[in-house]
Parts: sequence; structure tokens; C-alpha cells
Amino acid sequence: MFLALVPAYNEARHISSVVRNLLPHVDRVVVIDDGSSDKTASEAISGGALVISHDINRGQGASLETGHHYARSINADFVLHFDGDGQFDVEDIAGAHDALTSANADILFGSRFLDDRSTLPWAKRFVIMPIARHINRVVSGLPLRDAHNGFRILNRRALDVVRMTQDGMAHATEIPSLVKKYHLRYIEFPVKVTYHEFGQGVRGGFRILKDLFFGMFIHTP
Amino acid sequence: MLILFQLAFILFSLIAIAHVVRHWRDHLFQLGGTIAWVLFWVLADLSVLWPTTTTVVANAFGIGRGADFILYLAIAGIFAVLFRLYVKIERVQRDVTTVVRDRAIQDRAKKDTL
Repeated sequence: MFLALVPAYNEARHISSVVRNLLPHVDRVVVIDDGSSDKTASEAISGGALVISHDINRGQGASLETGHHYARSINADFVLHFDGDGQFDVEDIAGAHDALTSANADILFGSRFLDDRSTLPWAKRFVIMPIARHINRVVSGLPLRDAHNGFRILNRRALDVVRMTQDGMAHATEIPSLVKKYHLRYIEFPVKVTYHEFGQGVRGGFRILKDLFFGMFIHTP
Repeated sequence: MLILFQLAFILFSLIAIAHVVRHWRDHLFQLGGTIAWVLFWVLADLSVLWPTTTTVVANAFGIGRGADFILYLAIAGIFAVLFRLYVKIERVQRDVTTVVRDRAIQDRAKKDTL
């Protein structure tokens, strides 16, 4: 079974169409409603998704890991990480899935920099991303070209070992580090990203660094 | 003036020590922690009664004044406490996530079996 995991926090405006667009490309769409105060959950259900609801907001990493828990419980073969705000293109899914299986890889990372379909704000492309890429490379040890891209596909082997402890955005650095730790085979695949908002900015970047730093001092069983 | 401050400080430290001992009797503090706190207050009393002794210790560390030495120690101590607090908060955050996640998954399982 191929499962799409869509973490969503107050995405009532986009979520229904995101789910509807996703449905023809996967077997099931699971929306993890991360304590939204708007109608995200009901909109997702009306779009045809299965909804898992956090009572309170726990962050994107926490939501994805909740999705992983569910996927493991139903023995899913593949999971797709897909953002709830409609910034990704569903047309990339089939090609990505084919690329993952034909390369015999365990995990696929989407990348905005392998073709020229994504238009990034200037500051993001030439200032923030290169810095993020280097930090990511140092921390995770994986030379990914796109540091924090939310488009990923994991097979069952990857799903078994990629257990995120970072609740916030630092999970995007934690995943590559787990890939390296468990010697998973990975590939990068070009995906299109359309921006609705600017993203995390510099403050978000510092928060990720802080989370990663303090995360080192917490023992995880 | 100095005598008044010394008296006030010693009185305060005695109250603090009594507090620590009471906590120990109520099993809120462990023996190690109790001894550390009592030792801390006794040393603080000594340094207030004989202020020059701190200067001797400070000089041994290459710091000119005893008061400066205590200030540096205090800042380092505050940093250590803040760090521990931060790690503890982070751990509690993760525990909260675990509880929220378990509940969410259980709710889903209930709906799936209906």
C-alpha cells in the first residue's frame, strides 16, 4: 500500500484540494491535523482523506512521525511526505515512485535544484539555502542538494528505522542523519515547488539549530 | 553597617538551612543534595563573616577580588542551571508529543473498528 502523509496545521483553505489531487496517485491519503483551530480536519475528510488528529499543536516533525506510526500499524509498503499547503506538484509522484523502485533505493528526497521548474526568492536561493545546505551536511553527514525539502518517499525498510524525535522543523535534518546511521540507500529526485509563503526565514533556521543542539542531550530509547 | 548586613545574611542562611533540612526530612531532598546545600550556605556565611578569605581563593585562580570571583562562579552556575532546565523542558515536550500521538492513534483505531 502506498500512503500519502500530509501534516496540516490550519490549512483549511488548501487541504481539501491537496487531498483530492493526491488521491489518484496513491492508495490512501492520511492527513495529520496538528491541533488546528480552523476546519482543517473536516475539509480533509470532505476531500476524501483519513484524518488523525493531534489534540494540541506539536509541530511538523511530530505530525509526520504520528503518520509513520499509523503507516507501520497497517503495514504500508511506501509512504509519501507531502506538504498540506499545496506547494508540491502531484505530477511528480509517479515518476518519483518509479525512480525509487528502479534505483532499488530505500528513501527518495525531493530537490528543487535538479531542474529549473521551481522559482525561489533570490535571498532564499543564494543566501539561505547554501547556508542551510552546509549546516545540514555537517550535522547529518549526507550531501543533499536540497536541505529542507518536504517531498520524500520511504519504503518499508526506511519506514522501520526513520523514527523522528524532533517535533519541529529539525526533523528535516534528522531524517538524513538517520539515513546515514542505518545505511539506507537514498536518491534525490527533481520536484517542483510553488511558493505561497516565504518559508521559515532566519529565525526558523536558528530554532532548528537550537532544537538539534539540545536534542543531542536527550537520550532516546 | 557591615555588621548589620552580616547579621541579616546569617539569619537568612539559617532559615535556608532549616528549610533544606526540613525538605530532607520530608524526603523531598536526597542526602547528597542536602549536604551540598548546607555546605553552600555555610561557605557563604564564612565568606560574609571573613570577606578577605574569598580574595585568597580568588587570587589562587588568578582573579584579583573575591567579589569578582563569586560573581563569575554565580554566572557559570546560572548558565549550568539554565542549560539543565532547557534540556528538561525539551524532554517534557517530547513526552507531551508521545501522549498526544498515542491518543491520536488510539482515536483513529477506534474509528477504524467502528
